[in-house]
Amino acid sequence: MSDPATGRRRALLNETRCQTCSLSSLCLPLALEVQDMDQFDAIIRRRPPLKKGEALFRQGTPFTSVFAVRSGSLKQVTTEGSGEDQLTNFYLPSELVGLDGIDEERYPGTVVALETTTVCEIPFDRLDALSESLPELRGQLYRSMSKEMRDDRRMMRLLSRKTADQRLATFFTSLSDRFRRRGYSPYSFRLSMSRADIGNYLGLAVETVSRILSRFQSQALVAVSGREVNILDLEALIEVAEQEGCR
Amino acid sequence: MPARAFTAPGSDAPFTAASPAPAYAFYPTPQAMGDGIGAEAYRRALEHSNAAARPLSLYVHLPFCQQACYHCTRRPVTTSDTRLAEAYLSRLDREMVLTGRHLDARREIRSLQWGGGTPTFLTLDQMSDLIDRLDARFRLAGDRDREYLIEIDPREADVFTLRHLEALGFNRLSLEVLDLDPEVQRAINREQGRGLTEQLLDEADRLGFASVNLNLILGLPRQTRDGVVATLEQVIAMAPSRLSLFHYRHQPERFPRQRRIPPADLPAPQEVQAMLQAATERLAAAGYVHLGHDRFVRGDDRLARAVGAGRERHDLVGLGVMAVSRLETLHVRNPLRLEAYEAALDRGELPTAVGHRLSLDDRLRSAAIESLMCELCLDLAALGEAFGLDAEAHLAEPLARLARAEQQGLVVRQGPQWRVTPTGRPMIRQLAATFDAYPAAR
Repeated sequence: MSDPATGRRRALLNETRCQTCSLSSLCLPLALEVQDMDQFDAIIRRRPPLKKGEALFRQGTPFTSVFAVRSGSLKQVTTEGSGEDQLTNFYLPSELVGLDGIDEERYPGTVVALETTTVCEIPFDRLDALSESLPELRGQLYRSMSKEMRDDRRMMRLLSRKTADQRLATFFTSLSDRFRRRGYSPYSFRLSMSRADIGNYLGLAVETVSRILSRFQSQALVAVSGREVNILDLEALIEVAEQEGCR
Repeated sequence: MPARAFTAPGSDAPFTAASPAPAYAFYPTPQAMGDGIGAEAYRRALEHSNAAARPLSLYVHLPFCQQACYHCTRRPVTTSDTRLAEAYLSRLDREMVLTGRHLDARREIRSLQWGGGTPTFLTLDQMSDLIDRLDARFRLAGDRDREYLIEIDPREADVFTLRHLEALGFNRLSLEVLDLDPEVQRAINREQGRGLTEQLLDEADRLGFASVNLNLILGLPRQTRDGVVATLEQVIAMAPSRLSLFHYRHQPERFPRQRRIPPADLPAPQEVQAMLQAATERLAAAGYVHLGHDRFVRGDDRLARAVGAGRERHDLVGLGVMAVSRLETLHVRNPLRLEAYEAALDRGELPTAVGHRLSLDDRLRSAAIESLMCELCLDLAALGEAFGLDAEAHLAEPLARLARAEQQGLVVRQGPQWRVTPTGRPMIRQLAATFDAYPAAR
């Protein structure tokens, strides 16, 4: 048996390589062959973990890289002309941060860690160059962007048509889905965001979020304790999310 | 059509739209209520009402306002301290307990209205709290067809408020727009841009509210016929499903805030009549149907198809200061002053202040007024049959007054049926007033 300390060091080292990263099947290199993955791995900059509340980058700073979330979570906050902060996105492990900065070459919002968070920085000029020789990588990049557009459209529909109950139910079912796709439990997860963050993201007052959370609990749809969420009846929650119009 | 002065033969004054008349949303008007009927009578009437089990509606009065509007007749409590509402909510809860114990617990609340004052003066959490208390004390209906309405001052609500209200179960809004002319708004100390209303209407539509009513008032200071038409053009462009045209009544001796309105600023009665005429024509041209009383609905509204059907008889239980309750045979009202209301509840008593017991004659006249105002027609044969008496003989005195209106071309008589003519339509309130047996209100 090897020395446990050495094993831990090796594990840490391995963890930071795409080939051994548990998220590689969801992340950019998912379609790459082993030898190509090494090429991709070589352009990645590992960074020290972000502390809770620390900004990955700020709104308006020049766009240089996209980032893959390896652990933890982040929020994107966009400040409008009026000075009001709007929470525009949450990012979970394996999701790409910064794709929305490509065209204007600036990051359109400030991205802040919601908890201790590690990211892999992928300098965009090198990613761009590499994807010319690796069509699978380019394909995956397109898919990531397409998915982000699709998610944004879904969010627009949510914000333009849905009631508060539908918004919160959709929030839970989509989080559940995101965790399930990452191999985590779709029924039991931890919210890294505050209720104020959730309200801001969903366009609801925090009082409304609390109100509906307690109703969902009394209807035995979810059990919430602090930030731990247990989804008790996913099907009923999906039904609420997809309801038409006012009750 | 220009406003005309009608002259009637005989010694009595002619029917003119200028003579003040109540809106007759119900009869007898509150002025008929007097002392001598209190909590005990109300309690017995509540218990008695369970047998007939007419549909049960709740009205909750929330008297607080951030700011005083000069035209207001609702005696609001003007403050910006939302903690004041806490004490009020606990009194309301006590009133709910005292009232609810006399009502059959199986009776479902199909219709709920929060009025004011400014109901959204309450914080979002206070509104949640109030709904929870109502839910704990009464059986609130849970289906989509229930009618839960809240009055909204567009200055005191935003999209977040509406999303919260929807989550609490409200599905109807009544927005106090009054008039969009900035000069009129300044004259009543209530400046509200059109954008506030538009934003709320859009959001109500997105949230799927079943109906949104806009309230306008005719006869406000500095109002003109052209100004009202301009307001209506903007309002029609917003396409609300329902509209109410109320009439301002200048009574500074009763409502001290109205003293801030110089009488010289008030439009002349003929001008108000011209406003009503123009408004009614504009609304008809835009596809709105006149429901009677002061209410109009867009042609595609559910209610438009029910024109003439009259309103379903229901028991109304009012909660809060000033609130009126109307049961089949008894109308009561709570005290007008907050201190008196709170003091009664602190003694553990229902706060009933005044009341009126409805006689057969009251109910007959009420049905006649309702029929006239909603169907523009009064069928004495049907009325007599419904009440098991000779309506013609019973109502001989008011019918004699109505006969004078016939000479003015405001109504026509065909056998037992009286019909309001197009000329008489703008004066429907004055025609209804012929049946009002309480001279104070006439």
